[in-house]
This record gives sequence, C-alpha cells and structure tokens, in this order.
Amino acid sequence: MHRLAFSKADTAKFISHLDLMRTFQRAFLRAGIAIKHTEGFNPHAFVSIPLPLSVGFSSSCEVLECQVLNTPLEEVPQRMNAALPAGITVQRCYDGGRPVKELAYVNYIVTLEYETGAPFGAESAIQNLLSRPALVVEKRSKKAKSGKVEVDLIPLIARATVEEGRDTIAMDLVLKAQNPGLNPELLLTAIRANCPDAAPDYASIHRRAVLNPQFQPWA
Amino acid sequence: MNRTLEHILPRVQKPARYTGGEYNAVVKDRRKVDVRYALCFPDTYEIGMSNLGMRILYGVMNEMEGVWCERVFAPWGDMEEEMRREGILLYGLESGDSIADFDLIGFSLGYEMAYTNVLNMLDLAGLSLRSEERDSLTPIVVAGGTCAYNPEPLAPIVDLFVLGEGEEVSQEIIHLYRKAREECWSKEEFLAAAAQIGGVYVPSLYEVSYQADGTLAEVIPQEGAPAIVTKRIVQDFDKSYFPVKTIIPSTEIVHDRVMLEVFRGCIRGCRFCQAGYAYRPVRSRSPETLLRQGIEACKDSGYQEMTLSSLSTSDYRPLEHLCDGLLEWCEPNKVSLSLPSLRADNFSLGLMERVQHVRKSGLTFAPEAGTQRLRDAINKNVTEEDLLRSCRTAFSGGWSSVKLYFMLGLPTETDEDVLGIADLAEKVYKAWKEVTPNPKRGVNITVSTAWFVPKPHTAFQWEPQITMEEYLRRVKLLREHMRGRSIRYNWHDSQTSFLEAVLARGDRRVADVIETAWRDGAKFDAWSEYFDFDRWMAAFESCGVDPAFYANRSREKDERFPWDVTSVGVSKAFLWRERERAYEAVITPDCRVQCTGCGANKLHVGGKCDA
Repeated sequence: MHRLAFSKADTAKFISHLDLMRTFQRAFLRAGIAIKHTEGFNPHAFVSIPLPLSVGFSSSCEVLECQVLNTPLEEVPQRMNAALPAGITVQRCYDGGRPVKELAYVNYIVTLEYETGAPFGAESAIQNLLSRPALVVEKRSKKAKSGKVEVDLIPLIARATVEEGRDTIAMDLVLKAQNPGLNPELLLTAIRANCPDAAPDYASIHRRAVLNPQFQPWA
Repeated sequence: MNRTLEHILPRVQKPARYTGGEYNAVVKDRRKVDVRYALCFPDTYEIGMSNLGMRILYGVMNEMEGVWCERVFAPWGDMEEEMRREGILLYGLESGDSIADFDLIGFSLGYEMAYTNVLNMLDLAGLSLRSEERDSLTPIVVAGGTCAYNPEPLAPIVDLFVLGEGEEVSQEIIHLYRKAREECWSKEEFLAAAAQIGGVYVPSLYEVSYQADGTLAEVIPQEGAPAIVTKRIVQDFDKSYFPVKTIIPSTEIVHDRVMLEVFRGCIRGCRFCQAGYAYRPVRSRSPETLLRQGIEACKDSGYQEMTLSSLSTSDYRPLEHLCDGLLEWCEPNKVSLSLPSLRADNFSLGLMERVQHVRKSGLTFAPEAGTQRLRDAINKNVTEEDLLRSCRTAFSGGWSSVKLYFMLGLPTETDEDVLGIADLAEKVYKAWKEVTPNPKRGVNITVSTAWFVPKPHTAFQWEPQITMEEYLRRVKLLREHMRGRSIRYNWHDSQTSFLEAVLARGDRRVADVIETAWRDGAKFDAWSEYFDFDRWMAAFESCGVDPAFYANRSREKDERFPWDVTSVGVSKAFLWRERERAYEAVITPDCRVQCTGCGANKLHVGGKCDA
C-alpha cells in the first residue's frame, strides 16, 4: 500500500470528505497515474483517507491510501499537484508506513477570533474549563435512540495549551484520534455552553500533525 | 480567500459551491485584463455548472486577450441570508470580487421560472433592477439563452439581449464595449451602436403601444434599431469552439460528466417544441471531430462518464460509427457512454447493445400523447408499434425499467386521448410480460405527465393553455384509469406550469408583476421549497395584470406578438401552416424526407441546410 501526504487549505477547506475522494480519483486519471481498482461488477478506484477532516478545517498532515501501479513514487507529487484543484497539495508519496491503528492523537491549532478583542478573563476561563476533572457535553449520535449521547471530553484531551494574542486566543490541542476520537468542534460547544463570555465570534481549526501513541509523528 | 466569506461558509450548506478554485477555473491577473465579464446563471451552482452553454461561453471569452470571464450562480437561501447580513455583495467565483464593478454582466436564461433569480442576483450585486436606473456605461446587463426569444418580460431590466448562439456575438459586444469605453461613450450611445450588431436586441430602443383589448398595437424601433432582430448561429459548427478543457467541480453537480455536443437543431418539427424550431437549422460535427474531442475531454477531466448531447441523438447520421469509435477508447479506459434523447422509432438493438456494455440504467421514451391521432396532431412521428417494438427490444435485452413522458392539455386533446395514455402504459406492460427473460424480477413503468405550456416561436404559439380546473380533471381521469402495481403515475404540479405559461408569452407589463413578486420574496420559483403561487397571484392582482390573458387566451392569426420583434429564422407563415395541419391531424415529414420550407436555412450562408 502507498500513502500520499497532502495538505488542504484555502478554498479546498470546504470540499467535503466524499467530494475529496471523488476529486482524488479524477485527479489520478488526469495525472495519468494508474491506481488499483476494486474488483467486481462496477470497479472503482481503491482509495481511502484514514481520518476524515471536517468541512471547513484546514490541514497540513492529511494522508490518502492507495496503490500506485505505473508511476515512480517520486513523480507522484508533481503530477498530482498539476491535476488537483487549488488548495490541495501533495507533499510526498511513499510506500508502507505505520498501521492506521497506531494513529493515536491529532494535534489541532484552534484559533478563537473576537471582533472586539479577546474578552477579559476569557483565557483563564477556558484554562479552568479544560482543567476540570470532567467536562460532559451532549453530542449527536446516530446510534443512540434519543439521537444524543453524553461524552466526557477530559479523558480525550491529551494536552492543551491556551495562549492569548491580540484579538485571538490560540489553543494548541492534542486530542485522541480514534476509538473514540474528539472533534475540536465539541470543545467549542463546551466553551459556548460553559463560559459564554469567552465564546468567539469565529473559530478556525487547523490540523497540524497526526501522532502515534508516543506522541511522535505518525506517517 | 475573503475573511468574511471564510467566516460565513462553515454555516451554510454545501459551501464548496461558493469558493471557486476548481480544477481548470480560469484565474487571471487583475492588472493584465481590461474587461471583466460576470457570466451569471440564475440558479444554483449544481445546475448552472451542468449547462454546456455556460462552459462554451466561459471558454470563448477567457480565450480573448485582456478579458476575464468569471462565473456567478444564485446563492441558496441560507447563503443569501448570510451574505446580506454580513454585507457581502454577489461576487465572481474566480476572483471573489464584487460583480457590481464588472464591465458586463451576462445572464443565461434557460427557463422562465428563473426570472425572479435574475432580479435577486442584480439586487445581491448591489445594482438597480431597472435598466433606466443604471445610467453609466458600466456595468451593461446582458441576457441570452432560450428565453431571450421572448425578451419582453425582462425588457425593463436587461440592457441588451443576445438572440441565438453566443460564441461570436459575445466577442463582438466586448469589442464594441472596449471602443465605447476608450471613446467615452454614454450608455445610450453604446446601446444604440450595439443594436446594429446582428442578433442584439436593445429593448429600450423600441416604443411599445397597446390596443384597447390589451394586445400589442405597435412596436416602433428608435435610432435605427432593426424592426426585427434575427438570431445568430455558428456557421461552421464542426470548427466552432468546444470546451475540451473545462472546469471540473470539486463537489457533485447534476450532470457530472463529459458532454459531447453532436449536433445543433432538429429535423423533427414537433409542433409544441420551442427548441425544435428555435435551434434550426441542423448543423453537425463530424464523427472524427467528436471522437477527438470526447477522448481529450475525458483525459483532461478524469470523468468516467460521457454523454452525447443534442435534441435527438438517434437522428445523428453517423451515430453507430461514432459510438463504435468512442467505445473502442471508452471500454479499455472504463469510461461509460450514455445516449439520452433516443427516439422510440429508430431505437436499434445494435445501439442498445453498445450502450449496455457499461451499465444498465433505465430507458426513457417520450411519446408525448396517448393516441395516434394526437401524436399526429403534434407531429410527434412516433407510432404505437414503434414504441412497443423499442420496449420489446429493451425488455428482451434485460431492461426492466421504462419511463414514459406525456403531456396533458395539448391542443385538440379529448378524454379519449387522455385515456390512451393509460392504454399505452398497459400495452407496454403486456409487452414486458411477453418478452422478458426474467419475469420474477418485475418491471417498473413510470408514466409522467406534464401540463402543456404553449411557447413562442412554435406552431402552438396561438393556442390557449387549458384552465387549471380542466388540467386537474384530466389528471384525475387518467389517475383513475391507471391500473396495475407495476405502473407508477406522476403528474407535474399545475401551479408552476400555469405561471410558466404566463411568463413564456408575457409582454412588458408582466415585468412589473415579476418585480412585485420578487419584492414580496419570490425567488427560485423552479424549486418547490420556494415557490409560492399565492404570492404570484397577489402580484398579478396588485399590478392589475390578468394572468389568464397570457395563459388561457386563444390568439387571432394576425395578432402581433410581443416576441415578433425577434426571429429564430422560422417564418410565422410556416408556423401558422403547421398549426392548421395540427387541427387536421396531418403530419409534416421530417426535414430529411423533404424540406418543409420553414425559412431557417436562410440563416446559413448560401441557404443550405444540413438536415
């Protein structure tokens, strides 16, 4: 199996996971790179993205798995970049890599923006919120009958630092990636619910790194 | 990316529609262009991006030195709300710049129900709605497309209409605009000069008066504008621009595939069909050209689906030859080929086997009417035997899903014709039972009826639309006679079809109604989520305009129509003759059997028609 490491930024942030898969399949064809297809009546390109990114997030550490058939791996980034829409850039293409189950943590930079400057005390309010012994929020769920489940966020946060800038508060978070993972949107929900004074006008979320259980980069 | 935009996009549905940045989107250097063109489609991104005409004009204009053409679509309600709240003006997808500062703003008008979106988009751009309220040379509001063949309902809004195919005339307008700007012309001077370009109709240059009975009295052209504006066509269609390299959306659109345009025009002459008359004369591309364009387009796009587009694909003479050539490339490259617009009379087994190779989707036939008499009256030269033979062919080839399209309310229609639809569906079901190789799988026969809307420039332009009560009675009659679990019956909503009938044959007084309805919140009228019939009726009432005058009135032979100021090349005398033959239920053979003398051949240099 091969992996493509790529980033997703600017306008491409708003391409959904499903659309991104389709976009990659077409880009492979445009680039003239053959990849392995599923067998069966309606063969389709065999590509997967282990950790789908929410619409609107940017990322510098996305990974797509596929099997490149006819192209030297070092040629793949350049040929793909010529065939991809703006904002998606393939950095490298490599063989193998660590198993997906070792993908344990994700490092997110969440920037809280305030039109009239960060409110006084917002930073410490968020700090305190994150240092609580438990932080339970309601989350939508397809499985639960009520359509909602309660989740405690604290065990899913491995590390968190909060830093105040001029009009922003930046949170550097290391969150559990899977089984279960934590979407930083839920932390924003918790901030809005528990410390409404610290609620931002807008939040941008960037995925900076994916990490293994030892907090080393996973690739 | 604009920061405010970045802030609102996470809150709206399908935000990828509003960002641009797709593969092959044309981004130019603002400092190196002198003409900015906003190519607008008054519906959603998914629909507008599926329009081949948009892609052609986008390509043609962006190939011009110094011209940057960008796309603009109607934002869905949630996005509109956010834009209005945050003060974001309607912008071009490529640059993100507000289109209010562009030089030309061109709308593609494919269907009447999009008219309110034109107004809404002008308003979202921060522009005045009426042509007379926009007094500077910049921007000029242009409109073209099928609806431009009756430009009058939007006459007070649009500065100039382009009739017919836009490949050449769009460039001519841009050249003239450049000259006007260099020489500091006023908007009036520019429009008067533009009216001299073939195919350009400038509504403000025509004085319109009405008779006591409400019909048109006189239309007097001013400043040397032509009394009748004749549509433009591309003379050499084989060599004309085709967008081999075209934008590939990063999100799913309605027609997400390579569209190969095999020919323009139609040889058939169905008497209800506006496209069949308005796109004449027939001009084809050679199979060699199409093969090259199809393969290149697939390679450049990464699409794995290709479709042949035309008004009646099975009338393309070298169709089998073309399909063989395409499939030779498509099959090893896993590209599927689909052939819409096949006619039931010449649907061949050979053809079916070719398209079947890749995927077996449903088949669709449009007999349009339930009895032979009525099919003859509308000149849909398809017999019951043709249809049943085609269905048998399909069923024995393993197909088990057929859609049949009809219209209710066609001129001369009787209850017998209505019930003929149920009979025909029943016969199709029996045909399936006779020939199907797998009877256990069952069959799906879907019968859909639309309510006939008389359109300008057709043989039925004089005809009344039947009343809504009568239409609903016929729907009920048919519904009660549809038998069998394998047959599903759908009918088209009556309220939109009635409004469509008003707008299609409306005059300038209808513009006030459109504006009133829009001010009251009308937009996306083609979408049931938004369409509100009562709002429209209130608008007619408050403007003192009677919709029945436009929809349900039978016209005299010599009535002057609002759209008579435009010509599609087909003469009114020919259309009247066709109307009389309809009432005699006499068919007119297709253009290949014999030239019918419609007049459209004169649009061709040398007067030749390639039917």
